[in-house]
Order: sequence, then structure tokens, then C-alpha cells
Amino acid sequence: MKKLLATILTVVLGVSVLAGCGNSNKSETSDTSSQSEQTSAVSQAKEPKELTFWHYFTSINGETVQKYVDEYNAMQDDVKINFEFVPRDELLKQFTIGLVSGELPDMTFVDNPDHASFSAMGLFADITDKVQAWEDGNKFLEGALNSAKYNGRIYGLPHASNALALYYDVDMLAAAGVQPPETWEELEAAAAKLTSGNTYGLAFSAIKNEEGTFQMLPFLLSSGATVDTLDSAGGVKALTFLSDLTNKGYVSKEVLNWAQGDVEKQFVSGNAAMIINGPWIKANLQKNAPDKNWAVTKLPKDKEFASTLGGENIVILNNSEVTDEAWEFLKWFMSKENNIEFCKTVGRFSPRSDVTPEEVWGDDAVMKVFADQMQYAQPRGPHPKWPEVSAVIINAVQESLSGVKEPAQALKDAQVKIDEINSTLK
Amino acid sequence: MKTLKLTESRRDILSGYIYVLPALIFMLVLIGYPIVYNFLISFQKLDAMNINSGVREFIGFENYKKVLSDEVMGIAFKNTFIYTIASLAFQFTIGFALALFFNNKFKLAKPIRGFMVISYMMPITVTALMFKFMLSPSNGIINDIMVAIGIIDAPIPWLLQESTALWGLIIANSWIGIPFNMLLLTTGLSNISEEIYESASVDGANGLQKFIHITLPLLKPAILSVLMLGFVYTFKVFDLVFVMTSGGPVNSTEVLSTFSYRLSFKYYYFGQGAAVANILFLCLFAVALVYLKMIGKEEV
Repeated sequence: MKKLLATILTVVLGVSVLAGCGNSNKSETSDTSSQSEQTSAVSQAKEPKELTFWHYFTSINGETVQKYVDEYNAMQDDVKINFEFVPRDELLKQFTIGLVSGELPDMTFVDNPDHASFSAMGLFADITDKVQAWEDGNKFLEGALNSAKYNGRIYGLPHASNALALYYDVDMLAAAGVQPPETWEELEAAAAKLTSGNTYGLAFSAIKNEEGTFQMLPFLLSSGATVDTLDSAGGVKALTFLSDLTNKGYVSKEVLNWAQGDVEKQFVSGNAAMIINGPWIKANLQKNAPDKNWAVTKLPKDKEFASTLGGENIVILNNSEVTDEAWEFLKWFMSKENNIEFCKTVGRFSPRSDVTPEEVWGDDAVMKVFADQMQYAQPRGPHPKWPEVSAVIINAVQESLSGVKEPAQALKDAQVKIDEINSTLK
Repeated sequence: MKTLKLTESRRDILSGYIYVLPALIFMLVLIGYPIVYNFLISFQKLDAMNINSGVREFIGFENYKKVLSDEVMGIAFKNTFIYTIASLAFQFTIGFALALFFNNKFKLAKPIRGFMVISYMMPITVTALMFKFMLSPSNGIINDIMVAIGIIDAPIPWLLQESTALWGLIIANSWIGIPFNMLLLTTGLSNISEEIYESASVDGANGLQKFIHITLPLLKPAILSVLMLGFVYTFKVFDLVFVMTSGGPVNSTEVLSTFSYRLSFKYYYFGQGAAVANILFLCLFAVALVYLKMIGKEEV
């Protein structure tokens, strides 16, 4: 008898282990379902339709969109938009779970490299006709709009773009007697001179996720390599250059574990004289390091200037019952006037071709550099399997930075994997 | 006398079952269903391209073949075992030593033991972040102490190189698991009657003999439970690894659970992710069977 009880207990125990992941999914789904019950209860009481809009912005970006949502809710009676925060990883997971369970928002922000895979899954609504019928539909920059396309159809709109550049500590550079670097050679020389004591010459993010790929890609692109020719001479040169920087001690080995926010902290605390980062940290730096004397320059180049295009797209979900209302809001939010105001507040660039950086930023020196850098920003993909491609790239970077493989070998192995991923698309 | 006792205990067990029944039904629905679902999709072609189409091709063992031939699978498998066994060894030895120590009835024994449980109650994410800082080569306290007392000459970049990253995780996890081991073993120890030790002393047994011939055998059920539970909890590790290294650098700390998560929710190969989760389940099931066998022998 006791043995039987023990058997049951053990089985249940073992079973509960596996359910670890399944379990959490369950509770999440029930969370959202109770939420939507609430929503429908409210909509019966009031006239306007309910629209759920997800985002993963934590600070000023989210607050600013919230302001626009509030304003829109106040100015019309057709629809009430609920702008809800969902952590980024959770959001990505919820999209895929939602495909099965049906619990999805009506609109959402999505990071542009993820756009194509979700479009391929059939998660997003095809808004090509709506965009073409809109008088402003042709006023989007090609590169930015491309990130929202899949198989030639439009599945969303870019809302604000950004790119990476090099932040540097003006005082440290002056003390070391170096000019802001423009080429890789100058970058290495400057990093060498700036490295002393607890301070590293340069810091960037090479963490094992999309942020790492985002930061490392400009080096590969600058040397003439592309995502499909990683193992070319240019690719090997780029990765050798990066590995040398860490091997010589100009860059901390900890970059392998640093996200972009960590890199920003290294700069604020003076542990790094130069960092790679985006325009979104400008406001933070002014707040957290008001006494710091810093400036921005374009990412140093090998053959040509390069950067990665960052930014989110706004999409309407395929299963939404309020697509027309969502589209009305999207048109209003992306109108020229609103977009200029928005970009000004959050430190980003307009994806609209009829908005010049000067219109948004005036003669802001920092944003001028970023505006210049934007011209060299290249999108990631669009590729329906970008998350996998991205993992291969950052894996190769980590392999050579941590010394597991020679750069050439790491890239050769990576290329095999990317070819394999591409072959599954045909 | 003996038969009476047996029927009594049988009745106890029967009413026990009735009490357990609601929980069992609850678990079958909430836990049983995902497991069956997971089992099914591990035999289906289910990825980003067809998840929304409703058509799910049955592909037999294709997902299993695919993940087993992936080089990361081998690494994840090896890492999971090294991580589990090394963590268990540290947790158990240190936990046992502390349990014996606090079993001596000295002043403050109870409050200090209470304090030690804090590390077990802390959310794992917090512990993970804390250890990430403490293991850092620049300003990390663990490196500072080791350099100060002369164990090492230069700080070790624990989580940043393939050779040590897994050990960084093992250190963190050992710290988390020690109080759990200590508590369960303390309970076991307090159940051993003082009289047995006293009569052993009368017979002239020394401390070591008492430990080997009295403490260990009488503690065996508790030890087995601790090891079994410890194995299960450690083997399915996810949050600690995800926060501290997310599997890196390169793949040096990838474990089965993180690999399964990555396949399902990063690359959207749901079928393959499910296959890895099932392999993880099978490993634990095998351990559970071994445990049963041991318990069974005890009872017969």
C-alpha cells in the first residue's frame, strides 16, 4: 500500500516537473482571458468599442505613447484604447501562445527584426490596401517600411527609428590626447590610450541575444560582409578586429554578458571611455550624469560607415475585430504633426520621408550625428527566420571573443548554419 | 494485536486517498493535459510557418532526430548532468555538515538555522542577479576575497569563459540549496532517539562509529528523499541559468530547459522544443523509478 502511494507521489512529482513550463503558460492565458472578460463587461456598459494595444516600453517611450492614447480616447467616441505593458520576452511568448489559444491584443508594438517571422506565422493583418488608400501611405522611408513587409505585402507601419553611434567622454579623450576615432585603426589606437586602471577604452554589448547582434552587425557590415557572406574576408577581418580588442584588454571580457543598458552604466560610472549605443540613452545621460562632458560621433568604419536600423513597428493583429478603428488610430498617431512631436520627446527619428531631422531636432548636436548615422543604417532582414539567423551571428561573435574558436573558423561554421536556415525557406 | 494494527492503518490510507483525490483530479487536468499536448506536438511538424494554418503534419520521430543530432543537445545534456550532480554534491555535503552542527543543542542554534533559510526563500531571479555581480571579475566580491586570501592571483572571469561559466552557476545554486538539505536532514536527525546513542556510548562506540552505524542507516530514508527532490529541482533548472548567463558564453551553460525554451520561443520550432522537454521528462522519470526501487527494497 505504502508502495503504491509512493508510486503515485513519485509520478505526480515527476509530472509536475515537466509541467513547469506548461503550467506557467496556463496561468498567463487565464490572466489574459480574465482581462478580456473585464474588457467585454465594460464595453457593454459603454458605447465605444474596446481596443487592446500592447507594448514593452519601460520609460519615456511608453509614457509618451500613453499620452497620445489618452488624447485619442478623449477626442472620439468610437473606440477606447487600452494601452497595456507586457514585458518584451513575455510579449513574444504570448504571441505564439496566443496563436493557439486565441488570446491576443488588437494592436501591438513589435521590434522590427521580429516582424517578418510573426508575419509569416499569420499573426499580423495585411494592411497593404489600407496603406495604399491613405494619402500619406507613400510618405514612409523605404528602408523603414521594408522592415514591416513580408512577401511584398505590408503588415504594419514603422513608428520611430534609431541607429547606433559612438558615445565618448570628451574629457578623457582630451586627457589622453586623442581625437574622436573615425576608422577602425583610430578606434583601436584610441581605445589603447584610454585604457588605464579600472577604465576600459571601449565598451559594447555582445550579449547572447538580439541586442548583441544589433551592436555587432555594424562591424560586419562596415567591412563589406553581409548576413549571407559572413565568412568572407571582410567578415573575418571584422571579427578578428573585435577579438583583438578584447584580447589586448581594451575592451572588458564582460561585454559577453552586457546588455545595452549595462554598457550605458559603464559609461556613466566612468568605467568605459567610449561606448556604442543609441539615441535613446541621451535623456538618461543628461539626467544620470549631468556633469559628464560627452559627445557622439559616427561608428568608426573599415570600408564604409555602417549601423543597424533599430525601432519598433506598430501592427494590427489578424484576429482583431476592430481593425478599422485600429487603422484610424494608427493614421492619426502616425500623422506628420504627431510623429514629429513624438520623435522629439523620445529621442528617435521619424520614418516619414516628409519629416527632416532638422524639423524635429533643430540644431541639437547629438541628434545631428545620429541623423547622419541614420543614412548608413541597414535593416536586419526582413527574414522570416531572423531570430535564428541572429542567434547564429551572435554565437559566432561569442565564440571568437571568448577564444573558443578562431574568427575564421567561427564564421565558417556560422555560414554553414545560415545557408541551412536559408535552404529551409525554399 | 498485529492484525488489528494492519486494518487500522489500511483504513487510514483509504481516507488518505479520499483527501488526496481532489488535488489529484486538479493535477490531472491542469498538469496532465499540457503533458499530453506536449507529447503530441513533439511528433508533429509545428513551427512558425504552420502554427496558424491548422494543418499539423505527423512526422514521427523527426523532431527527436533533429534535436538529437544538434550539437547543442549534447552540450545541454552534459551540462545538465554536471550541473545537477556537482550542485547536489556540494549542497548535500555542506547541508549535512550544517545539520549535524546545528543538531548540537547550543544557544542560538535555532535562530542561526532560521537565518540560513533566507537564501532558500529569496526569489531565484534576485539570487541570480546578486551572484552575477559577485562573480564579476571587476569588483566582484568572490574574486576579491579569493585574491585577498591568496587562492588565486588574478580575478577569474567566472561567467565569461567556457571553462568556468557552469561552475559559477553551480556555486550560486549550491548556496540556494544548502538550507533545503540542512532542514530536511535536521528533521530526520531529530527523529533519531537519543537513547540509541546513549546505549551505543555504553557499549563503547566512538563518534565516527555512531555516525556510520546509527546516524546514516536511520537517516537513510531522509537522505534518499533529499537527494531525490534535490535532483529533480536541480535538473529542471531554468531561471537561474536564464538570468545569469542565458546559456552563454557561446553554449557553455546551455541546459535542457533553456535549450527547449530557445527552440520553442526564440526560433519557434515548437515541435522540437516539445521533444527536448520530453527528453528532460524521461530523464527525471528514470530517476524517479530508481528512487522507487530503493524505497521498495526498504519496505520489503
